[in-house]
Amino acid sequence: MKSIFFHIGVLGALAVQPLHAAKFNDCYKVESIDLPSGVPPEVGAIDFAEDGTLFVVLRRGDVLKATPTSDPNAFDWKLFATGFDNGCGLDVISPSKIRVTQMAEMTEAEDTDGDASADKFMRFASGWGLSGNYHETNALTRDGKSGYFIAVGTASFSGPTFEHTLGTFSDAGRRGRNYSSVKWKGWVLHSDAKGNITPWASGFRMANGIYQDTKGELWAGDNQGDWKATTPLYHVEKGHFYGHPSSLVWDPDFKKSKDPLAYYHDHLDEYNKDRTYAAVEIPHMEMNRSAGEPMEFPKGNHFAGQLLLPDNNGERITRVMVEKVGDTWQGACTHFIDGRGLHSGNHRARFTADGKQLYIGQTVRGWGAPAEGLQRITFLGPVPFDIDRVSITKDGFKVSFTQPIPDKLKDDKAWEISSCTYQSKWTYGSDPENKKDHQVKVATSDAKSVTLKVDGLDEHRVFKINFPKCDSTDGSPLQNNLAFYTVNKVPK
Amino acid sequence: MRKTLLLLCLGLPLHAADPLITYENRPMGSVEKPMLLRSYLPDPDIDDAVFSQHDTGRKVSKYNPEKGADVKGEVVPIAGIAAGIGVNFGPALSYVFDTTECRLLYTWQGGFVDMTPYWGDKAKGSRVSFGYVPQLVGTLFWKTSGKDPIELNGKSLTDLGPRVYTGYRLVKGVPTYEFKAGQTPFTLTVTPSDKPLACTVTVTTPGDGTLTWKGIDGATGKGTMTLTLAGSDIGKFEGYKPVNNITKATSETGEKLFLQYGCSACHSVDGSKNHGPSVGLLFGHEVEIDGLDKPVLADRDYILESIKAPNAKVVKGYPPNYMPPFGLPDVEYDSLVLYIESLAKPE
Repeated sequence: MKSIFFHIGVLGALAVQPLHAAKFNDCYKVESIDLPSGVPPEVGAIDFAEDGTLFVVLRRGDVLKATPTSDPNAFDWKLFATGFDNGCGLDVISPSKIRVTQMAEMTEAEDTDGDASADKFMRFASGWGLSGNYHETNALTRDGKSGYFIAVGTASFSGPTFEHTLGTFSDAGRRGRNYSSVKWKGWVLHSDAKGNITPWASGFRMANGIYQDTKGELWAGDNQGDWKATTPLYHVEKGHFYGHPSSLVWDPDFKKSKDPLAYYHDHLDEYNKDRTYAAVEIPHMEMNRSAGEPMEFPKGNHFAGQLLLPDNNGERITRVMVEKVGDTWQGACTHFIDGRGLHSGNHRARFTADGKQLYIGQTVRGWGAPAEGLQRITFLGPVPFDIDRVSITKDGFKVSFTQPIPDKLKDDKAWEISSCTYQSKWTYGSDPENKKDHQVKVATSDAKSVTLKVDGLDEHRVFKINFPKCDSTDGSPLQNNLAFYTVNKVPK
Repeated sequence: MRKTLLLLCLGLPLHAADPLITYENRPMGSVEKPMLLRSYLPDPDIDDAVFSQHDTGRKVSKYNPEKGADVKGEVVPIAGIAAGIGVNFGPALSYVFDTTECRLLYTWQGGFVDMTPYWGDKAKGSRVSFGYVPQLVGTLFWKTSGKDPIELNGKSLTDLGPRVYTGYRLVKGVPTYEFKAGQTPFTLTVTPSDKPLACTVTVTTPGDGTLTWKGIDGATGKGTMTLTLAGSDIGKFEGYKPVNNITKATSETGEKLFLQYGCSACHSVDGSKNHGPSVGLLFGHEVEIDGLDKPVLADRDYILESIKAPNAKVVKGYPPNYMPPFGLPDVEYDSLVLYIESLAKPE
């Protein structure tokens, strides 16, 4: 805080800039971290050891480690291990032992002779196939019981399979745009502490990141595409089907057809009954084009308990505010950081143990222009003026803010609310449908929040909540004036 | 490592001093520091019988996501090793060990692999569509066939029961693979030989069972066996060769370039949506552009401009800064435009 006072004093801006005003740069610092020169910064996964050592899995096979320094260009990188095939999931067990999900298996790599580099590489878990398609990458999260949840990606029709596949090949699973020609593609698997895997949930296209939060709830994103109308965030539960049909060829309990893709193409109503909807649908263009790894803002952070969701195809990170209505998860999304020096390719996220820094790993290798690297966001202390939370009421939404709001936001005219529906189907993404504008009134307000009464609040609609950019009462500029709320259920 | 980082700071080439993987698409190890690469790996026409623990990838009808249905044409599987480990000792030796069959698949000398088709181009990022398997560099001197030539008490490992890979340990950087055949554990280590077109293989198993390598006289031992696996020149490989020496622009060349540059990863050719707008049914049609009130006609100039400067006119609904500009010779641009023109009507 001292430095802010100092700057304001020096600039003589006191008259126009109240003392407590917090701009973006007062609250967050975005920095790019150099990897060793000449190394492709295609970051597949990141994780910290308990001693604070940062491990980075690079997609060509190397795993680097370093103790973070305040200077982002002074990390003392060392090679810990090499020889991983497109490692996209990482759990650091100790400074000398890591586990990596690579294409064909999950591997434990350990330094047993104390020379700071791994010499023992044992298969920890396996059992999913590998077709030879480039798209079948895997991510992991700890399950809290020394085991894991592993998200296994589908293949893309932009690439073939091999003549000889690892694991049983399914002709019906091979059909379609993104496909599941070998086992467990498009599934979330559970691995126990010994590496024994069991299928957990189906219907994913490409859950590029999975995360169990501190309350034990399991979250996975997905990528807008076939059977994913827009970018979703799913609350993952055992036995549920999340909408991409190809994975069902491996489900012995799916008995409707041997060709689930064709079946649901022809029975879309039944499809909608059988699938579990996204907790939060995240509009593709406005908010997030391709979800990376969900991660929880830690205790002490001004957004503690909320989730962030990196955008793998945009220079932005989404913030997600989930809540439970009855048994149904749903919630809102807004930008956490949009631009401000972030790269594109965001897909892995880890907070430092003190919660004061967020590291982001980036890569889109194989698609389009290279967008990759390692960045970190430092929380400098001051809280920005931003949407704090959007929650549903029985007839509208309560929008609360991090700072006291100006009267302007307490006026009906400030608020614009529209809504749409999304129908996931075989096409690559789906346009919003059944668009509606809604009349909105400010029912009540207090210093930091407004409660909106929205005409026509309805289920299975995504509501766009838009309001003018303004300053808080202490002059802090508003960071975001756009949120979307996915209504799966209206509270009674 | 400190010395290495110092060299890095001075901007000296990495490969001389440090084993880190770089943008070098022909990575190499050395006898002192072998390189281990897990990746999709080439299949130099290995005997199908070797893949007894794999399944067969089968061809499939082409699929149109816009229709959600199959269309004319088919997609055939390509050759490749899904879960192999490639190891290189510099020019002295390269080999592929397969973790699914738990056996040595093939060995070569004089180079390793060219990763260009998979790792792509530093500036452009893209892999080669439908042909992203790395390619061999060097002289192939041995490849396996039929049942596993390693025998325990006269019985091929293939016949001992399912082979299950466990992992590997590095000793001075050299991997020793561990696996079981049936209930019996084995290890396998492969190192360079001082003989030409040959390598040294060591196999161990607990106890004093008789190990032999079928077909090599004297290759035997009790509980452990070391042998020279000598071969002959069975093929020379030169890595990845892009489409080049184009003298005349044609639509057919354009199609090859479209795959080579990875365009098809983002642009469909049948009108269906993908990461980028389709180039099928595009030529001669109007396109809505971000920031422009009126649609633009997709004529030759528009298509050329969109390839050369992708951000000049961004199609509505698609992100900017996604496609890299491709610095190509004019004859390649012209070929790509001709190919896109040829896709103006439905197949």
